[in-house]
Amino acid sequence: MHNSSIFIRTQRLARRYTEGEQQRSIFTSLDLDIERGAFIALLGPSGCGKSTLLNLLGGIDLPDAGQIYIDGHSLTEMNERERTQFRRRYIGFVFQFFNLIPTLTAEENLLLPLELNGLATADQRDRALELLDQVGLGDRRRSFPERLSGGEQQRLAIARALVHAPLLLLADEPTGNLDAATGERVLELLLKLHRQAGTTIVLVTHSQEVAARADRILLLDHGYIREVNQ
Amino acid sequence: MTPLFWRALLRHPLRRPWQLGLAILGIALGVAVVLAVDLANASARRSFALAMERISGQATHRLVGNAQGIPEAWYVQWRLERNLRPSAPVVTGYLPNAEQPGQLLQILGIDPFTESLFRHPGADVTGSDFDLRTLLVNPEAALLPETLGEQIILKNGDQRFTLKRAGMLRGPELAGLIITDISTAQRLLGMTGRLSHIDLALPEGSAGEQQAAELRAGLPPELRLERPDERRQAMADLSASFSLNLTAMSLLALVVGMFLIYNAVTFSVVQRRSLLGLLRALGVSRRELLAGILGEALLLGLAGTLLGGLLGLWLGSGLVHLVTRTINDLYYVLSVREFLIDPWSLAKGAALGVLATLAAAGLPAWEAADAPPGAALSRAQLENRWRASQPRFLLTGLALLAAGGLALAFSQSLMAGFIGLFLLILGCALLTPPIVVGLVRLNQLWIARLGLLARMANRDVARHLSRTGVAVAALMVAFSATVGVGVMVDSFRGGVAIWINDLLNADLYIAPPTIEEGGNRVEALSPAALAALRDTPGILAVSTYRGARIDLDGRPLMLMAVDLAPASQAGYRLVDGATHEVWPAFRTGEALLISEPLAYRRGLGVGDWLELPTDQGQHRFSIAGVFLDYGSEHGRILLHRTGYERYWRDADVGSAALFAAPGEDPAMLRERLQERLGPIQSLLIRSNRDIQNRTLEVFDRTFTITQVLRVLAILVAVVGVLSALLALQLERAREFATLRAMGMTAGEIGGLVSLQTGFMGAAAGLLAIPTGLLLASALIFVINRRAFGWSLPFEVDPLLLLETVALAIFAALLAGLYPIWRMTHARPAEALRME
Repeated sequence: MHNSSIFIRTQRLARRYTEGEQQRSIFTSLDLDIERGAFIALLGPSGCGKSTLLNLLGGIDLPDAGQIYIDGHSLTEMNERERTQFRRRYIGFVFQFFNLIPTLTAEENLLLPLELNGLATADQRDRALELLDQVGLGDRRRSFPERLSGGEQQRLAIARALVHAPLLLLADEPTGNLDAATGERVLELLLKLHRQAGTTIVLVTHSQEVAARADRILLLDHGYIREVNQ
Repeated sequence: MTPLFWRALLRHPLRRPWQLGLAILGIALGVAVVLAVDLANASARRSFALAMERISGQATHRLVGNAQGIPEAWYVQWRLERNLRPSAPVVTGYLPNAEQPGQLLQILGIDPFTESLFRHPGADVTGSDFDLRTLLVNPEAALLPETLGEQIILKNGDQRFTLKRAGMLRGPELAGLIITDISTAQRLLGMTGRLSHIDLALPEGSAGEQQAAELRAGLPPELRLERPDERRQAMADLSASFSLNLTAMSLLALVVGMFLIYNAVTFSVVQRRSLLGLLRALGVSRRELLAGILGEALLLGLAGTLLGGLLGLWLGSGLVHLVTRTINDLYYVLSVREFLIDPWSLAKGAALGVLATLAAAGLPAWEAADAPPGAALSRAQLENRWRASQPRFLLTGLALLAAGGLALAFSQSLMAGFIGLFLLILGCALLTPPIVVGLVRLNQLWIARLGLLARMANRDVARHLSRTGVAVAALMVAFSATVGVGVMVDSFRGGVAIWINDLLNADLYIAPPTIEEGGNRVEALSPAALAALRDTPGILAVSTYRGARIDLDGRPLMLMAVDLAPASQAGYRLVDGATHEVWPAFRTGEALLISEPLAYRRGLGVGDWLELPTDQGQHRFSIAGVFLDYGSEHGRILLHRTGYERYWRDADVGSAALFAAPGEDPAMLRERLQERLGPIQSLLIRSNRDIQNRTLEVFDRTFTITQVLRVLAILVAVVGVLSALLALQLERAREFATLRAMGMTAGEIGGLVSLQTGFMGAAAGLLAIPTGLLLASALIFVINRRAFGWSLPFEVDPLLLLETVALAIFAALLAGLYPIWRMTHARPAEALRME
């Protein structure tokens, strides 16, 4: 992988949506640099494009113009297949509504990224189960997601996002759907795993408290991004 | 209910055109198949009625004779003696158009001077287009329908007859008719000196009845007085079972269509759960919500029925050809093949479409309306209810199977048999979802080896049971019909092949050509030809046959007067009676052999008596045996020639079967016979192989329409799977988007869904086998027995079963292609944004 300290770079990034006959620009020329191993909190009012930016960084959406580099690789120059393979190997997602696979047990949900990457060896499986223990779900490994509480589901989602040791973790309001105490525990877990693995994290949130735990806070508003001093 | 309420409800389906379109298509296909079959049946009935009407016209009664018809001389004398007027002699029969193979035209020979009171005004022989003098004087003159040219060449054996237009017959109902002078018709049909029948117009009421009674009393025994309307009914009844079978098959397509409607309405209810809950919270009553959803279904039903009506008209015009061809092959000649749009059929189709829609929409509508305000049925609730309902499904399914079994075993009528059959289908359909859940569990035991994706695909089927269960059930019903009908047809064909092989064991068969072409059965082998035949060297034995139509309690039956060589005798398989007792008794000419359908219909067996109308009056014959026969569903009677000549005034022989002497080459014998008999009479000499092939060809033609209906039922089911998968795709958009975000490629998603679709197809195919075999048993042992009186073997071709599973998987995969394309082309960011 690339060794430069800039891990994520966007250049003149533009994205707009078509709503009926009208077009709405989310941002027209967004430049952003994020260092390797940083924990970034992305703040901003509803509809400002935080999730859109996250999706663009994860390669599940494409910009209308501009470039995105992750670890020196241009996401925008990759074809669909290359982008998928890149995402599969190097990126992890955590969503507000957990988005666990309902037909797989907790353990199977965790193993899915390993299996997709062809990493489901016995060693890796053991590591995955350890991770499950680490997030406090060792005794729930055979439970289906519908049997887990909201907090448990989000902890499982975080474990799933990190099990294949991605370089980048993108989290879209991971505590937004949890009560304060559970949210705090989930955030602690995220930070712990971040510190252990050195994974770069970009976390979208509405919460100032959550943002305060990040290395940097970025505010996205009216198509521009600026750093907020803590 | 306010306009805004309706707007809130109806905007939803309008915003999902594919969903709306598939629901309408499901209804439309079901209605189209039912309507098409009904229209085709109605057209055939109407064509038949027209054909009968144009022969009988305004006649109230008709005099008919035996196999030889009525001697013309007798008519002339009788008319003079009785001074019975009005009466009109008729010579009628069918001849093929020499220039258009397969077209059979009805020849109606009339006496123009006695006609004006009798025939249909459409065929008004006194019309301005008609040249009476030409018709009487010119032996080539005829009234031809407007669809034909200025002349036509007809074929009777080797002979060709040219007829030239002397007048025009107008209207589609006269398209297959040719009217000639009576003498011309006699020449064309080889009936010189004979009449087919004599039409009479007796007064209405008691005076007419009295006159008819007097007439009957004075008739020679070989003549009968009958009413045309009774004959028409008796003839129409011949094909009633066939029509009923087709109707039942078409209803199957509608049943499959109902699964689709159920799925579509449930889906639209579940999708609008928050809206419906909100409406309830805002004060919309349960009844209003129920009425709203049913009203929406009604609109859906009306649109589907309208489209189905148009499709049905198109499909019906294609099916009418298949229906009339089968009736021509099996029952009676239908020369009119016009597609008539029967308003009653349209009304029935419309009512059925709308009612089926409302019935299928009833349950989901009720469930939605029954939910408490603010919490109208959610997807998870629905699935939970489905899961909880599995034991109920299981018990109800078993109860319906038992009820169907009882209806089949203990009822007598054909209709009850069909009801039993439908209960079986419904029972198996209800058992499908619990069995699918069981199969999913069973799969879990081995599928783990294929990885998590396979495990997901498998579990998804059970998790979305409200969708997948209905789709698999619809597909299973359609394919079980394929297995059921396929096994029945194979068994039937196998039975017919063995039967015909045993029966037609002679080397050569000789008959006048018209008998073979579905026309005039009066034609016979001339005595000179018969004598020459018997004298031909190289023949070991000869069997002779004479077919005569007799009426038994108003129903036409075929009486075969036979003189059988020992080998021919051995070809008859007896289902009742011991060989060593049957044949000696039969040869006395006082005992009959009756066919199995006749024995079944009348509950007759060996030792019973049957009273037949002979030329000497009614005569009781004992029944010596019952033989296996697939030749006629209404039954045939075999009487030894000595008995026939004793009681009927008919010494003619209609056809003969020849056994070549040992060492004689049948092909050489055939050539020799052609040389000897050619100068005496135009005859068809055919090998047993020719006739066997032709019989099986007719058999296969008969089932063409069945195959068409099977394909249509499968098509409806495929639309069902397509609709279910599209619904799932919409509901699971976020799940797929998550998988895409985790790095699954579009191809892997496609593979996942294909695996799931393939599993659904395999489940449907596998379940279709036991259900289909159950249906086949019901069709073979109950329905066919009651409809046609035949006992059939039960033969299962393993290849058919394998084909069914393969085809079900293929159909499901095919239905999955478009949803997969949509899933793989959906943008994951869009689906995730919906959060």
